[in-house]
Amino acid sequence: MGMFDSINISASGLTAQRLRLDVVSSNIANANTTRGVDGKPYRRQLVSLGERTAPSFQDALNGQLQQAPSQGVRVTEITRDNAPFKLVYDPSHPDAEKNPSSPMYGYVQMPNVDISTEMVDMISASRSYEANITAINSAKSMALKALEIGR
Amino acid sequence: MSLLDSRSITLLERTLDSSSLRQKVLSNNIANIDTPNFKRSDVSFQDALSNAISEGDTLEGRTTDARHIKINSKSLDDVKPTVFQENSTSLRTDGNNVDIDAEMTNLAENQILYNAMTQQINSKFGLLKYAINEGKR
Repeated sequence: MGMFDSINISASGLTAQRLRLDVVSSNIANANTTRGVDGKPYRRQLVSLGERTAPSFQDALNGQLQQAPSQGVRVTEITRDNAPFKLVYDPSHPDAEKNPSSPMYGYVQMPNVDISTEMVDMISASRSYEANITAINSAKSMALKALEIGR
Repeated sequence: MSLLDSRSITLLERTLDSSSLRQKVLSNNIANIDTPNFKRSDVSFQDALSNAISEGDTLEGRTTDARHIKINSKSLDDVKPTVFQENSTSLRTDGNNVDIDAEMTNLAENQILYNAMTQQINSKFGLLKYAINEGKR
């Protein structure tokens, strides 16, 4: 068992939570983007997390020998939220529906981003980040304590 | 009994090993706090250890050669920490059962145990050093 395994595991947690935070920032920043890259309103992004299993044969073998569980966490995919866009009545908006015969005349399609949901996600990600930091500090102080043996 | 291979130092070594394995497992639980369908793991060691060090309740075969078959051996080398997974519980609707409060408590507990063990080993070595220096410090 490597000395830095637990620190590496927590570091994978830090990476994943930071990416979640980045995606939340992107969602909040684009909360009013009515013209995305494809010309349509911005769609909210979602992060999916999964267990990270041993990447190499050596690690897999060690994992089996010690019955150790997975080696941390990884981001499996970033998906787009397919929830419908919010409709806001604002005929003066340049992206409003201009066809008078359309039932959506005068309405603007706004991104399906809900600011309060994003804020909750943000707090959740930053708390998880802190938990991983605590685990790293604890592992670090244990390793330093082990260096003191026999001094 | 040899100088450095005493039973208590082996015992402390084993506990340190299991404690660092537990640190790894708990870190993994915390890293996967937001992973759907993740089930937490933990390390069980104390029971196996107390079984191995409780004496006088079973008959033990004496071996005089390394090739002898051990009968009811209570060798500390056979005591290994085992990782088990808690599959039966669920804390949230996504199937994850990591309780962050419990994990942080376990982490702190594990760290204190580790520190206590290193301190104990240090005091053992301190005694040896004291004897080697003929009590001169």
